[in-house]
Amino acid sequence: MHIPDGFLNAGVSVATGAAAAGVVGYGLYRAREELDEKSVPLLALGAAFIFAAQMLNFPVAGGTSGHFLGGMLAAVLLGPWLGGLVLTLVLLVQCLGFADGGLTALGANVFNMAVIGTVATYFLFRGLKAVLPRRRPYFLAAAGLGAWLSVVLASGACAVELALSGTSPLSVALPAMLGIHAVIGVGEAVITALVLSVVLAVRPDLVRTYDLPGPSAVPVDSEVSR
Amino acid sequence: MKHAFLDRYSHLESPVHRLDPRAKLVGFATLVVVCVTTPPRLYAAFVAYLGLEAALIVLSRLPWKHVLKRLLVVLPFIMVVAAFIPFFSKGGGSYNLGPVRISGHGLLILWNVAAKSTVSVLAVIILSSTTPFSDLLGAMEKMRVPRLFTSLLSFTYRYIFVLVDEAQRMRRARDSRGWSGKWLWQAKVVGHMIAALFLRSYERGERVYAAMLARGYGGGGVRTFYAYELGILEAGFAALVALFPLAARLLS
Repeated sequence: MHIPDGFLNAGVSVATGAAAAGVVGYGLYRAREELDEKSVPLLALGAAFIFAAQMLNFPVAGGTSGHFLGGMLAAVLLGPWLGGLVLTLVLLVQCLGFADGGLTALGANVFNMAVIGTVATYFLFRGLKAVLPRRRPYFLAAAGLGAWLSVVLASGACAVELALSGTSPLSVALPAMLGIHAVIGVGEAVITALVLSVVLAVRPDLVRTYDLPGPSAVPVDSEVSR
Repeated sequence: MKHAFLDRYSHLESPVHRLDPRAKLVGFATLVVVCVTTPPRLYAAFVAYLGLEAALIVLSRLPWKHVLKRLLVVLPFIMVVAAFIPFFSKGGGSYNLGPVRISGHGLLILWNVAAKSTVSVLAVIILSSTTPFSDLLGAMEKMRVPRLFTSLLSFTYRYIFVLVDEAQRMRRARDSRGWSGKWLWQAKVVGHMIAALFLRSYERGERVYAAMLARGYGGGGVRTFYAYELGILEAGFAALVALFPLAARLLS
């Protein structure tokens, strides 16, 4: 989903770039408010973690595989603004250090994966969480559904941008992208919920958006995780 | 461990490597913007862009194998666009390729995307392969990118190699135990791996931060020695890389 240079026209590049810059700018502003000096290395660690997690492919069907996106996971672990910032950092390093995703398409890539796939879907997740019973399994289910939505919506935005730029026909590209990512999204959902359930069991303090009452986590010696 | 990072050849000796990264950043960014906004029918302009890049690759002594290998990242996207070509039916005459009818309009779209993405990816490859990442960040800092942002990027880049190594070790350990996931319901294993990766990297981060404090880290990012100065060579380089494509485009 990393759009290269030359696939988008000027209008789409500028519009998505402006939207992405606005949201990331607000994220940086929030980061300054929320973070102390210690958080800079830890936030960067979060970005490096998402980068490394994206390298672990998961099987989809008959030997084909998809890879993890991590937007929803970052948002649930860090909150929407810091999560979006972390995804932006990942995309920037991929663009400059690995030529993955174009310079002029950076705005669109950040818009799809950080703004839509992380910040916007976080608020959908929060809506889901509000209507579901306040218990851990429902929290995990909401996060999983949010992860599915994040992948599907980001791929849909990608298809719409390509179509608006005249690079691919919407009537074919949109169903194709949505169809493929509806399946890949199931893997994203399962993995996001699993990762959160493990982290909640071992270090519940690291899930910043977990606000449910009730018995705290089973005390597990944190040495186990080393 | 194997890493596909681009700045592997950034410590070679060449005139391009010695330039101030600010000049390269401005020059290549302009080249990409000029290329992306070029109308696709100006074929001569694209030949000029590629010629300039080929000359820079020769001048910077980058191995062609490295450049071509990294160039492959755009191929899947071009192939996806190629797959959609038959669905564009309007205009430009049509060609029959067996059962598939391809319109001239569709072919132009494919050429547009393939040419522009190739030129642009080559520009980023030359930039990143001739400039250590920390110097690229130093240049951004000198160009007034917020320090919070550059220090976040520099820490991210440092940690990536540690965590990618960790992820690769986990993957090797898993594969050596005979795991072969084929279907979605086997994704559970990957979920547990990512959870372990997160917990390990977080706790490692805490230890690294304590070690940094013990060594006198006082915030404000990593300071690196920025051993470049803007001079006549830099001005000439930026002018060449930015203005040559512009001239080629206007003349063709």
